[in-house]
Amino acid sequence: MNGLEVARAILAKDLLLDLRTRDRLGHMAVFALLVVAMLSIVVPASRPERLAWSPALLWVVMLFTSLLGLSRSFQSETEGGAFALLVQAPVDRGWVFLGKACANAVALIGALLWTGLLFTIFLDVDWSGAWLAALGAGVLGAVGLAALGTLLSAMSVAVRFREFLLPVLLFPLVLPVLVLASSLTAAALAERAAPPLWWAVLALYDWVFVLLGYFVFDYVLED
Amino acid sequence: MISALVALSVALAAGWLVWVFFDVERRADGARGVGATTLAALALWLGMVVFYAPIEQVQGLVQKIFYVHIPAIIPTYLGFTLTAVGGVGFLRTRRESWDQLALGGAEVGVVFCSLMLIVGPIWAKPVWGHWWVWDLRLTSTLILWFIYVAYLFLRGLAFGSDAARTFTSVYGIIGTAAIPFVYFAVDIARGSTMHPSNPAREGLPTEMARTAAAGHIAFIGVFAWLVARRMQLAALEARELESAARGDG
Repeated sequence: MNGLEVARAILAKDLLLDLRTRDRLGHMAVFALLVVAMLSIVVPASRPERLAWSPALLWVVMLFTSLLGLSRSFQSETEGGAFALLVQAPVDRGWVFLGKACANAVALIGALLWTGLLFTIFLDVDWSGAWLAALGAGVLGAVGLAALGTLLSAMSVAVRFREFLLPVLLFPLVLPVLVLASSLTAAALAERAAPPLWWAVLALYDWVFVLLGYFVFDYVLED
Repeated sequence: MISALVALSVALAAGWLVWVFFDVERRADGARGVGATTLAALALWLGMVVFYAPIEQVQGLVQKIFYVHIPAIIPTYLGFTLTAVGGVGFLRTRRESWDQLALGGAEVGVVFCSLMLIVGPIWAKPVWGHWWVWDLRLTSTLILWFIYVAYLFLRGLAFGSDAARTFTSVYGIIGTAAIPFVYFAVDIARGSTMHPSNPAREGLPTEMARTAAAGHIAFIGVFAWLVARRMQLAALEARELESAARGDG
């Protein structure tokens, strides 16, 4: 079995698990629904103000929603006692990271599409003008969140006060994702072309942290 | 001339720390001499701040916070650099001394970063009219502080095990990798800054520049002394644990 097959098997297993149990995705969906519905009540009623706030709020909702998913990305392994087996996979453990991170990225993109839909329903956000740019920003942002989140979630599996620690570790590091993805989303909503540099830096950030995750995962999983 | 002196003191401090690092338990005792020198530098700096540096005409007395705020910068970044270096060293060699270096860098770096973040707003309120403003350097320094406080939390909560040392090393490395991105992302997407740019500082009156340099040198000395002592303490703790585990402690 080579690395790619291991990564693919982990990805397929996690996606299947997500679809069968619907725990993780279901909880993220309900949480996002609840938060966006609350936001629609407390955000100022005028349309320009809502539009101005939406990109930032969307990404903050995403950040909190993703925590629900990320904190459980290794739960099935720890509960089933399969963590040790995962460590023993006879390939570079970076591939285990890639499989896990891909599964998380898929879950987060799903959550993002759902949150975008909720913003349309509750806050009147119209994506039709630049849906491609908004989707691109969303995917890049979700990949960055998934890469960092997978790595940090694996690190906090064995640590006390996990629920507290994961956001404390994650939030400062994903600030670039939050800033750039929400700026790109804002530009898309205003139907402006965002500076190519924003796209480039966000993509570079994703790339750097996927690579870093690939290389350091060996150390994270060793025990 | 003035900045060459500051650069020299950074090089001396770094060189001394490297020398101490390779045999902490014996060489850290030399910290007494460094401590005495640093104490003298601190006295000189404080004297210069009070008696030598002129009172700035527009801002008044409050501008003297400058001599605390600015010198805290170099130790902050030195500390976090040590954390990354120690993290890489630990992952490669598995020697505890590297981990102790990383810990010393992070703890002392957080102290200086906190100092900078605390005195900054006290100076900003009378001068800018706000405690906190939207500013690139302010925001990225705060995020830097968050990253290393998270690092210390991770250390505290995962205390003791070998896995904990590995995790904190990994976090120290990815935290350092994230800092340029934080700075750059905030810069390009939000832009504009209230902090004076570096060329503007060249135009400082000589008395002010000399006092600031004395502050830089004194703070770098304090930094080196604290890191050396912290490494020594960590080494002693490790030995104590070891002998307790053997049952003869």
